[in-house]
Amino acid sequence: MNAPEIDRAATLECADDLEAINRLYRERKWSDGLPIVPPTPERVERMLAHTKRARYDVVTHVAPAYGAATVERIAVNAVMAGCDPGYLRVLIAATEAIADPAFNLQGIQATTNPVAVWLVVNGPAATSLNVNAAFNCIGQGAWANATLGRAMRLILQNIGGALPGEMDRATQGQPGKFSFCCAENEDASPWEPLHVERGFRRDESTVTVVGAEGTLNMNTHSKDAMELVRVMAETLIHPPSNEYVHGGEPWLIIGPEHAEVFKRGGLTKDDVKRHLWEQSKMAASQLSTKELQRARDSRTEELGEIEAGTLLPISPTADEIMLIVAGGPGTHSTYVPCFGNSRAVTRPIEI
Amino acid sequence: MAKRGKAALTVCSTAFVTLGRAQARALGDASLPIAVVPHPFGLRSRDEIREIASACVDEVAGLVTGTQR
Repeated sequence: MNAPEIDRAATLECADDLEAINRLYRERKWSDGLPIVPPTPERVERMLAHTKRARYDVVTHVAPAYGAATVERIAVNAVMAGCDPGYLRVLIAATEAIADPAFNLQGIQATTNPVAVWLVVNGPAATSLNVNAAFNCIGQGAWANATLGRAMRLILQNIGGALPGEMDRATQGQPGKFSFCCAENEDASPWEPLHVERGFRRDESTVTVVGAEGTLNMNTHSKDAMELVRVMAETLIHPPSNEYVHGGEPWLIIGPEHAEVFKRGGLTKDDVKRHLWEQSKMAASQLSTKELQRARDSRTEELGEIEAGTLLPISPTADEIMLIVAGGPGTHSTYVPCFGNSRAVTRPIEI
Repeated sequence: MAKRGKAALTVCSTAFVTLGRAQARALGDASLPIAVVPHPFGLRSRDEIREIASACVDEVAGLVTGTQR
């Protein structure tokens, strides 16, 4: 049966010339500012061969333009980003995830805040697709990380309509909006991995989407678990933070060496979350007057009356501080501030 | 609201008119009336906001009643 015309990706004739094709994509604002791989019918077909989903299945509609994210359109953007065909099923799951109302994609796409969509891959697919979880895992160099993150950006822009200065209203944005993807280093973690914490089996593969506002390096050589908690907690505290205003969901990428310090100190993942939550409370007086009012507007129902001396927790509960273990050797962990009005969403990746 | 037959409009600050128009088109109502007020809001006092609100009353009324597009 033929799909309705509206759900088909358009095809157009173009000279078989990479520069001419990229000129076209540039003129039509179909790229992220970097050259693309031309999504020829052959390349798109090769991509589609890696999913059981039907070509015209509408995975979701992507805010704010609410374009139909058919499997075919996701595949087109995946080709453009340079993805291997086997990555398609990660992108289908990630596209499902961003549509969950808890993620607040409308807000993320149209806000003035610098929100990137960070993909975290867990389970066997992370290994089989070579998604980097170790050295430089949120930096450059791994094909899967770079192209998966880039493909998500193209989906957000080309299907979701979030073009900078038009529906994407980011004041400055951030480099992670080009690409932001890694796997969890499950082998280096003393704790259960993210997807197990979120209700999946260890042998299932998942992708988690996070509304991430940036990355902040936390370099400490401390070998004392509670001291490590303290300096991380103090890193989270900063007055112009959306998390304290709205009650957020801060993410920490714990380096394997820091994870080992926590393990030797006898701290479970829940222990670390609880200590971080307690020790990162910030006096409401540290907020600017405007932000104090915004915090009152946003959190009075949660916290009761907020006075200058009220200690604001970064998130409504300690459970909402999210920890993954990733990276290679080194004394580094990373704080990933969250958008505030968003919660991460995890979806299983089709086998 | 407009689709339910109720008078509806959106108020946008100048910096968000592009988004407002695009969003209205995406949601299937390209002719949604949009009243425009100066940007930004965040830096203004409540008195200034009241002034801005007063200044756009006529525009809002005109858009709602259809005498202005």
